[in-house]
Amino acid sequence: MKDLRIKISGTSGQGIISSGDILSYATARKGYYVTTYRAFPSEIRGDGKCYYTLRISEHKALTATGDTDILICLDEDTIYEGLNRITKNGILIYDKNLIPELKEKRSDINIYDIPLTELAKALNSERSRNMVALGIAVGLLNNLHLEEQINNDIELRYKNKPQEVIDSNKKALKSGLDYVKNNLKRTDDYSKVQMAQTGAKLIMSGNEAIGLAAIVAGCRFFSGYPITPATEIMEWLAKELPKFGGKMVQCEDEIAAVNYAMGASFAGIKSMTATSGPGFSLMQEGIGLASMAELPLVIADVQRCGPSTGVPTKTEQSDLCAAIYGTHGDCPKIVLAPMNVADCFYQTINAFNFAEQYQVPVIILSDASLGPRRECVDLIDFDKLKIVDRQKPVLKEGDIYNRYEDTESGISPISCPGDLYGEHVVTGLEHTVSNAPTPEPAVHRQMTEKRFRKLETAAGQFSKAKTYGSDDAAIGIISWGSTSGPVFEAIDKAAEKGIKVQALYPRTLYPLPTDWIKNFIKNKEVIIVIEANYNAQFKSTIVERCTHINKGTEILEFLKYDGTPFTPEEIFDEINKVARLQQEKLELATNKHTHF
Amino acid sequence: MKQMEAIDYKGKVKPSWCPGCGNHAVIMALRKAMAQLNYQTHETAIVSGIGCSSRFPFFMSTYGFHSIHGRALPVAIGLKQAKPEINVIAVGGDGDGLSIGGNHFIHASRKNPNITYIMMDNEIYALTKGQCSPTSRIGTTTKCNPYAWTADRINPVLMALSFNASYVARGYSGDVKQLEHLILNGLKHKGFSFIHIISPCVQYNKVSSFEKIKELVKYLPEEHDTKDRVDAMRYAFSPDGLYTGIFYDTHRPTYEERYKEVISIAKQKAGDNYTIKEVIKQFQ
Repeated sequence: MKDLRIKISGTSGQGIISSGDILSYATARKGYYVTTYRAFPSEIRGDGKCYYTLRISEHKALTATGDTDILICLDEDTIYEGLNRITKNGILIYDKNLIPELKEKRSDINIYDIPLTELAKALNSERSRNMVALGIAVGLLNNLHLEEQINNDIELRYKNKPQEVIDSNKKALKSGLDYVKNNLKRTDDYSKVQMAQTGAKLIMSGNEAIGLAAIVAGCRFFSGYPITPATEIMEWLAKELPKFGGKMVQCEDEIAAVNYAMGASFAGIKSMTATSGPGFSLMQEGIGLASMAELPLVIADVQRCGPSTGVPTKTEQSDLCAAIYGTHGDCPKIVLAPMNVADCFYQTINAFNFAEQYQVPVIILSDASLGPRRECVDLIDFDKLKIVDRQKPVLKEGDIYNRYEDTESGISPISCPGDLYGEHVVTGLEHTVSNAPTPEPAVHRQMTEKRFRKLETAAGQFSKAKTYGSDDAAIGIISWGSTSGPVFEAIDKAAEKGIKVQALYPRTLYPLPTDWIKNFIKNKEVIIVIEANYNAQFKSTIVERCTHINKGTEILEFLKYDGTPFTPEEIFDEINKVARLQQEKLELATNKHTHF
Repeated sequence: MKQMEAIDYKGKVKPSWCPGCGNHAVIMALRKAMAQLNYQTHETAIVSGIGCSSRFPFFMSTYGFHSIHGRALPVAIGLKQAKPEINVIAVGGDGDGLSIGGNHFIHASRKNPNITYIMMDNEIYALTKGQCSPTSRIGTTTKCNPYAWTADRINPVLMALSFNASYVARGYSGDVKQLEHLILNGLKHKGFSFIHIISPCVQYNKVSSFEKIKELVKYLPEEHDTKDRVDAMRYAFSPDGLYTGIFYDTHRPTYEERYKEVISIAKQKAGDNYTIKEVIKQFQ
């Protein structure tokens, strides 16, 4: 087996996330590829369910969602939830204390009821049940040789905690390992699982990748307000920015956060803020100001469902319209959508470069399935990254400096407080090239065109849309952001069954990447637009605008809005369905033809 | 360095306020105070939100940021935190700073950034042609409350004191000499200095006219101890007149100084040669 999915599930407070994190770091450090998916409730301790899914593989896997090979359950509910999603010959591990006997059974999997609570109690540490369970899993996968690395990772994770914490975690792990060796009557063949180690790589979360890229891009000011699932960006930068002389300040609300960042950007410092949907709504006027005042600004929106109450810990791609059309008035801005953790890094570098070069707000649309998930990222060649700084004017005594000079590219060189002879007023009020306020119709028209001209200048610089699958496919998928993993896997699966599908992922969602979409649609018979929201925001705002050149192409949608990310299986099923329909249509057309 | 005079701070745009507006006195007083401290135009930024008084930055020759309604303080604090060497002055009105931007006033007071905040209080929304503001008095009727007055007033000085602004003063547009003194001390103060200026509107507020305010104002007694916050609150509360002068003036570390400490702790932990190579280690 070259590829393995492990899911640890239970109730929040049982240490699901800790054990999952330890296992994912250890597998990556051992040299395997790993990608994960974390889901947690909004309660810190209580009835909410926690899930940590890891996919360990020899080659880079694209998503951790989907059916599980090894399911570890620390509570009863998750057993019945997950039982039917275990692959054939897979393993279910659960705490014998929870239920004496399973109500439902499956004869095609290996079921191990382990006295996890007893084992943990014997160590005087009932709380370490999660680590005993981890020990069981590691023991079953004995030919991945993870034991030593996990012990190292326990030490690393708890290095600031008392020695007892480290010891009790290690003991619990060993207790699980010993149980497999000495007590378990194995019926599975997972001891055969072996994988090639594929060398050094990085492991980080989508949120950490955004933070890291910010520092690499030269960002030295971040202002924010805590909000799940974006807080991790703020926390990571709070730790790292000051080490570089930069600052992370926590504000009283998101309105303050976006305006702090704008003040800092005005001061000449690369600045950003990060939030999720509710905070993003509060920032809208600020984003409009950045656009009108032409200040570089980066905003990361790690999307989730609904208002600040909402479904705060679950994922959705439902802020697309807010990102593109959210602000008042005519607002040039750029919207980027990273596809995976590595892309979070590269698109954030782009975001800063675009913001600085074109003096516009740049929005990065991540989401709750991408921000908190850890996965392997190939080593980054930092020397090869292009970092762009804002264009400064040449300032001389006696010269007139026009902050909003109407240039061919639309870009006006920008001075900042401290620059001699560069004094000017930035303003959200319509203004002349020399920043004098005016409501003159001719000026408003001229300056609106100037601001939008920057996007035309920018259009040539955007990362190419990513395509995946064969060029001669009749079925096309257009999607964006975090859906890429399950979509690409579904395309591979379809190819195995002889169905050709090609996907298109534009990384720049605004300005409208019409050419890429038009060219892509041209050669397809049917397009499925896949996205995680109810009202098909990407399809209705972008894709349909690009279809007028090829009206024969049918544009379908496949949507999900239950808070969980797409799985490759459900996308494959949809592809299958569409392929069958296409086939039927074709047959129908042929039959008609012969009839006449 | 150029020796500055008040006239050097005149901006490209002439003040567009109504003749007789209280704000003319405020801008004169600020320019004079800045000249005394020899503020260089390129090292100074005036930040505002929206309202009549928020047009202020256009009338100055310094850097300026005319932002959006209520957000002068967060823009000003972000600017100061990003570049502490710049002199940052936030200006605005009562609606801008106490209503839509009221939350930021609270947090600016507690965070103590080293900026000066000048609030020109005309007790009315004037740019939108006269609606009640958080400081409108009993008896004020406007098109938005044509029949009766419905809410109590905010006392901005008391508010600043209770949220621990480290410098709190009140002046009146009819007394430019005192204004200059209050602003000068506010600019010199290390920390958040709040200067509340009663600046009557000659167009939309007949209740709080120059004449009416003149009757109410009186100087704080000379023996008032500006280190005594409770006493300062007592004067701010006082029903027997509208006290002007410096209510409170103490020193505590500024927001920027405190963050400097954060940086020094972080740098100490990280060591001198902390680079991206070091950052990456946590992901390896």
